[in-house]
Amino acid sequence: MNRWTRREFTHLAGAACLAPFSPRVARAQAKARVVVVGGGVGGATVAKYLAASKKGLDVTLVEPKPSYTTCFFSNLYLAGLRSLESLTHSYETLAQKYGITVIHDMAEAVDPVAKIVVLKNGTKLAYDRAVIAPGIAFRYSDIEGYDEAGTQSLPHAWNAGPQTKLLREQLESMEDGGVFVITAPPNPFRCPPGPYERASLIAYYFKQFKPRAKILILDAKDSFFEQDLFQDGWSRHYPGMIEWLPGQFTGGIKAVDVKGRAVKTAGGTFKAAVANIIPPQMAGELAQRAGLVDQSGWCPIDPLTFESKLQPGIHVVGDATSAGDMPKSAFVTNSQAKVCAFAIATALTGSEAAEPHLFNTCFTFLAAHDAVSDAISFKATAETIKISEILLSAVGEDAELRRQVVRTANGWYDAFTHDVFG
Amino acid sequence: MALRRTPLSFLGAQRTRQIFALAITATLAGLGVDRSSARDIERGARLAAACASCHRLDGRDTAIPPIAGVDQDKLVSAMQAFKSGKRPSQMMYIMVRSLTDEEVATVAHYFSTLGKETTQP
Repeated sequence: MNRWTRREFTHLAGAACLAPFSPRVARAQAKARVVVVGGGVGGATVAKYLAASKKGLDVTLVEPKPSYTTCFFSNLYLAGLRSLESLTHSYETLAQKYGITVIHDMAEAVDPVAKIVVLKNGTKLAYDRAVIAPGIAFRYSDIEGYDEAGTQSLPHAWNAGPQTKLLREQLESMEDGGVFVITAPPNPFRCPPGPYERASLIAYYFKQFKPRAKILILDAKDSFFEQDLFQDGWSRHYPGMIEWLPGQFTGGIKAVDVKGRAVKTAGGTFKAAVANIIPPQMAGELAQRAGLVDQSGWCPIDPLTFESKLQPGIHVVGDATSAGDMPKSAFVTNSQAKVCAFAIATALTGSEAAEPHLFNTCFTFLAAHDAVSDAISFKATAETIKISEILLSAVGEDAELRRQVVRTANGWYDAFTHDVFG
Repeated sequence: MALRRTPLSFLGAQRTRQIFALAITATLAGLGVDRSSARDIERGARLAAACASCHRLDGRDTAIPPIAGVDQDKLVSAMQAFKSGKRPSQMMYIMVRSLTDEEVATVAHYFSTLGKETTQP
């Protein structure tokens, strides 16, 4: 938690003391202020929907990076099927079309009592409501020998951008016949089908350019999402190329030897030509510093408003949340962000409360022309969020249907990123 | 929780046109009900936000059927077809089943009022 100087405290305390005596004046002079920290899918969606609501809110979005590269679809880049530029989106439209104040700086602290977000450059942003969308942080300490420096040799590539590019470069320079090792993290983690889609699409690349290469998935778990669909796809498209070792065999990922490019599990040591270490995860760092995280490592929220259960006045959306049955996906984050934006608009402007509608869809590629999907609806109550209904693709679907899912997925990416950034 | 394996998926515009030809005239459109009050517009916009995760509000969709500016009755008919399973789509089946008939009518009216850049869902 940030320590406040006497001068800052006096200034803030003075403001707090005066406020009760002149509420009408305060309301007339100032728009309600919402500060959104984090310019990923969650933060950008909340900011856009608040600004577009025409409720006269003053919306500020804080994000250090000048643009955002989506994690979703980044496995297509690794396979050589999309450019990184096609996955990168600027904040210009949010600023120019919707009037959001976009500040490219790092938020260092949040004071939930004074209701102020402090930026790295020293700026203090006062808020009536704050939204923290910090994404994930990695539990490097869970894997002996691995740390942030180690990601420059053994990339996680689980935040899209330079890490993804590094992994692609390593795969391109890998000799044919090499072993590519992916470590898959324990639940919960960002994008449940992601490690297995990555194996699928890199196998698609290997099949064309390095047909003697092998892929080894060392898993912390004994099963994974849509396992039957993946294993069916692997046997049809890449027979003998992908091997998956479950947690009961590996005993979990214990350590890595960064220099030696080796992964150590309880079951043995595996040498890699290229290794992709996807570490165990927790809520992003700002959420931890702001006191939004419980002992689970994630942020407990009110399922109807996404307001923190630990810090009133601060909302949390996206992968950092502990949101019942909701998986950590971009679609879920976008869906949560809209519910959150409407709840904030209701709290600040008195507009009618909306029934939360929460959904998920993931499009998952098994090959360039073979994709599967899922669709889930959720029911939020005051206590938790439960799956209401779920539909999944099935093994044995015909090839044309799978090609249609690919076309739909590409159309979805365009519409979805337009919804978030456009 | 209902878990189903299904071959359902999104379908393209060609199949869409066939289904519209067969679709029964809308019964949920709420004929005679004025949905243009500020309250209904706001309710429609909030429901439409869920649709906007897949459908562009400017109607410039690629591969996913555009719905902005489409006639209200057509949209209601389409959503009924998804709900009954006559028109196969994983996401639309899940989506429409989570909405009340009133919400279907409200969101269909909202989309029908958006910029008429397209006419065919």
